[in-house]
Amino acid sequence: MIELLRAAAEEAPHRVALASAAGVTTYAELVARAETAAAELRSRGVRRLAVLDPDHATVWALLAACSLAGVESCVYPVAATDETVAELRERLGHDVLVTPRDLPAPGLLRPDELWAGTDRDTGPVPDGPRPLLVLTSGTTSGRPQAARHDWSRILRVTLRIRPTPEQRWLLAYAPNQFAGLQMLLHVAAARATLAAGTTFQPRDGLEAMRRFGVTHASGTPTFWRFLLAELRTEGEPAPPLEQVTLGGEAVPSAVVDALRRTFPRAHLSQLYAATEMGLSISVRDGEVGLPLSVLEATDGEAEFRIVDGELWVRSRSSMLGYHDDEPVPEDGWRASGDLVEVVGDRIQFRGRATEVINVGGVKVHPLPIEERVARVPGVALAHAHGRPNALVGQVVALDVVLADGVDAAAVDTAIREEFADDPAAHRPRSITFVETLDVQGGKLVRGRTP
Amino acid sequence: MSSDTTPVRQTVSDFLVRVKKGRDELPDDLALFGDGLALDSLEAAELSVVLEDAYGRDPFSAGGELPQTVGDVLAFYEAAPTP
Repeated sequence: MIELLRAAAEEAPHRVALASAAGVTTYAELVARAETAAAELRSRGVRRLAVLDPDHATVWALLAACSLAGVESCVYPVAATDETVAELRERLGHDVLVTPRDLPAPGLLRPDELWAGTDRDTGPVPDGPRPLLVLTSGTTSGRPQAARHDWSRILRVTLRIRPTPEQRWLLAYAPNQFAGLQMLLHVAAARATLAAGTTFQPRDGLEAMRRFGVTHASGTPTFWRFLLAELRTEGEPAPPLEQVTLGGEAVPSAVVDALRRTFPRAHLSQLYAATEMGLSISVRDGEVGLPLSVLEATDGEAEFRIVDGELWVRSRSSMLGYHDDEPVPEDGWRASGDLVEVVGDRIQFRGRATEVINVGGVKVHPLPIEERVARVPGVALAHAHGRPNALVGQVVALDVVLADGVDAAAVDTAIREEFADDPAAHRPRSITFVETLDVQGGKLVRGRTP
Repeated sequence: MSSDTTPVRQTVSDFLVRVKKGRDELPDDLALFGDGLALDSLEAAELSVVLEDAYGRDPFSAGGELPQTVGDVLAFYEAAPTP
């Protein structure tokens, strides 16, 4: 990370790296903080630390400092309660936590303490391992896990990024997420500017797009769905984006169509990545799913194959293992947990292996159902999941957010008619109208706890 | 029949209309399965979902014998009226 910031600062020290409601931070300021903090961390003998700070510039500088000082960093989610922070520190063995929050001592450092010194580490990045921990979103397991990565592997994906300083990217992911880290890396490699809203809510993202003249934005399909809903509600012209990127979840074609209509000038890309797998592929053809040709490719960041309907990945930027767990082979194949189906020349995503709905022994994938429900007039958002049932194990259930001013009974009837000719096990048997859907880390919280 | 069961009978009736098995009358001895309403397992599952949503519990999930007739469904709620 430090090498990317240094290159950007060398080219244009006063270029804005990060713009937010709190102000702007230049590349030179980031580098100064990072180099000062690196010297301070070395002098204190810190080898591992956690960061909990709502200020993105602070997090960015500390990540760079750790990458320079060979300190293993781990960014905690700002939304974590004091109890969650204590649990993470205990579980991950973080004796040192850098945070402005008033938490129980010992082991707390305030960010200001790290850049109050006069010494700067202006030396080269060290040889050898440069570890970092990245927390998973926890949407699958309910509890974040910590994936061990190495800067040298993660930085591989930045080698092909050419400088595009005119780009202004929206930060739509929190820096504790792998996707947020990718954004920091991408913008630093592009020597561009990152713009952050006051929160990661789509409404605030939209506000930041307008305030800072954002040209490029990357978010989950759930983020984009809500952002489109915000745009419809406010009735203002959409920001003139040049790039719209989706990732982190399967991409529904209805969302792609709506994004094309709303942002007609924008290139549409999909990222296929995960905290454990690293960044695997970027698909820029604007079509849903992956091209079948990825199964033949061996020259990219990752290789793919399909085993029993599940996508397996061998990525050069994958994690080295979970914290405190056995290392995984650096070039090993890994089951992605994503169930796929080959349709024509595309690999289409059908849902997570853990989300398959078992209706009396019939396996039903939720995503194709959601896709169709989302196209029923009057439906703003839909989430399909298995509802436990004493008779058949599970039935297909829907949580549906209605568009403004539509009649729930009419939409209920329309949804049921949409599936009337489907196999009995595939038909939604429970439709619940809700105000909103649970979102965590920009992703729909999938499945339901029985 | 107690007046408490009227909403339940109406709920069952509405459900049957929705699955295109509606009847003008729903006598207590009308069988849910077989030659009666001929509910298949997934329709019965859906009815259990509908009843659970409406009344917080349902006779199909209660752990005892499955209800066989409309009257069995009504009796489940009569035996321990839903608050």
